Amino acid sequence: MRKSKQVWVFIYAALGVMFVYNLLPFFWMVISSFKTELEVISYPATLLPNEFTTEAYEKIWLQEGFLLYFKNSLIVSLSTAALSSLVGIFAGYGFSRFRFPGRLTLMTAFLATQMIPGVLLVGPYFKMLTIAGLYNTLFGLILAQTSITLPFSVWMMKGYMDTVPIEIDQAAEVDGASRLQTMFLCIVPLVLPGLVATTIFAFLLSWGDLLWALCLISEQSKQTITLGITQLVGQFRVQWSEIMAATVIASIIPATLYLILQRYLVQGFAEAAVKE
Amino acid sequence: MRDYYKGYLFILPAFLLLLIILGFPAVAAFLQSFNLMWVATPSFTLGAYKALAFDPEFLTSLMNTVIFVTVVVSSHLVIGLGVALLLNMDLRFKWLWRVVAILPWTMPDVIGGLVWRFMFDTLPGIVNSVLLRTGISVEPIDWLGNPTLAFVSVMLAESWRGYAYPMLILLAGLQAIPRQQYEAAELDGCTAIQKFIYVTLPNLKHMIIIALVLDVIWESRLFGMVYSMTGGGPGYSTQILTLLSYKQYFQFFNVSYGASMAVVLATVLFFISLPYLRMSMRQQL
Repeated sequence: MRKSKQVWVFIYAALGVMFVYNLLPFFWMVISSFKTELEVISYPATLLPNEFTTEAYEKIWLQEGFLLYFKNSLIVSLSTAALSSLVGIFAGYGFSRFRFPGRLTLMTAFLATQMIPGVLLVGPYFKMLTIAGLYNTLFGLILAQTSITLPFSVWMMKGYMDTVPIEIDQAAEVDGASRLQTMFLCIVPLVLPGLVATTIFAFLLSWGDLLWALCLISEQSKQTITLGITQLVGQFRVQWSEIMAATVIASIIPATLYLILQRYLVQGFAEAAVKE
Repeated sequence: MRDYYKGYLFILPAFLLLLIILGFPAVAAFLQSFNLMWVATPSFTLGAYKALAFDPEFLTSLMNTVIFVTVVVSSHLVIGLGVALLLNMDLRFKWLWRVVAILPWTMPDVIGGLVWRFMFDTLPGIVNSVLLRTGISVEPIDWLGNPTLAFVSVMLAESWRGYAYPMLILLAGLQAIPRQQYEAAELDGCTAIQKFIYVTLPNLKHMIIIALVLDVIWESRLFGMVYSMTGGGPGYSTQILTLLSYKQYFQFFNVSYGASMAVVLATVLFFISLPYLRMSMRQQL
């Protein structure tokens, strides 16, 4: 399709608008985090800091314990992503490769669980974890978040495995491989981009969570980074520059992960959504 | 293949895990809403549901949720379709545009809520600063202190943050449209707008429905953005169901009342997701 010059001007102008619209909040967040405590509350706000300082970062990182929150968030998100991907590989393979009675019903059930809102579960969870002695532990939080990520992981893994021809399984069977060997040695390597996308998706869901941490963690030393930030807001001694520094720290991991792996994520995500 | 029964073994870990960490609490929430579980004297009652019907705070939150989801999802679909159309062209620096397009979505909603809260801040916020410097407004506007403006602000923020999700689904749909259909339309002398209406939209119908349903579900479950941006206030002008249910459960300890609200939300979401569930199942046959 050929387009005239005016059309291209319009297209790039539209992209420019999107560029500004999408990046403005990021710009504001980063700029504010480098302002002094005094400048960040001045009116009207300056668009660039008059005085560039990393004061806010030092205060957040060292005094407010964000190093610990960051570590807690990493532990919880990595474990959640690993657990739901591992279990998801097995279930995805099962749904993709076996035609057993009740398969469709089970798959519908897995899909329907994606629609359950977290607020429905979080109350009973509080009670369950208290009874099990897991309230206020990172392990309890990991289990809770897996309930949200696992149904996605199963469906995504199944979608990717469906794209691998069944002949590969048959060839492996002829060679005498067991089902487990076939799965791990033949299928998983072929759907590696999909596995990466699935794991990142679970990681991002877990990293961005507030509800579960808010309801299941009470001790400060076990807080995740999102919970830690919300506790800062409205405190007398905390300025916006520090809150913005904390939001930069919390956004860096998901944004970087995405930048590095965006090709896989977009491609993989599209495949899972289309489910051809 | 003959060993189809092995399929159950592969599903088993996920099935058992979900039964414990998802099935059980979901059933428990239902029972709690009827006052049947984890209480000293369990007795079946519809009290919580009857109270809901006359609770102005619940009815307002329900209305807010409906308005919020309708406005946000509509804007997501419009912006998402626009950006998807742009990204589907032969652009220079394609990777750059793609990265920028999806960046807002990588920001956790709690964080997005805080950043936008500071942007809309009355005095040091960037929104008022720009309005003042460009002369559009002389006085600072109290965005988050005025009930109507606060609601608009939250919807603006979530419109920004979440559109990449439906956009990616629509982009996948656009990429699947065969080029020949456009070429045929061109031979028939169709203009760009006609091609969009007669080729793009009909081909995209399925994907639009999927994007619509999934986005409605995501936005109805939204919690962190509103919690961190306004906390439901001022008054309960920006309160949505998830926030109210959380408050009833964990701040006022009205366990069965909080559970009943979550059950209402879950039931509505289930019915909304039915067309999507049916569509997905048909593909699996």
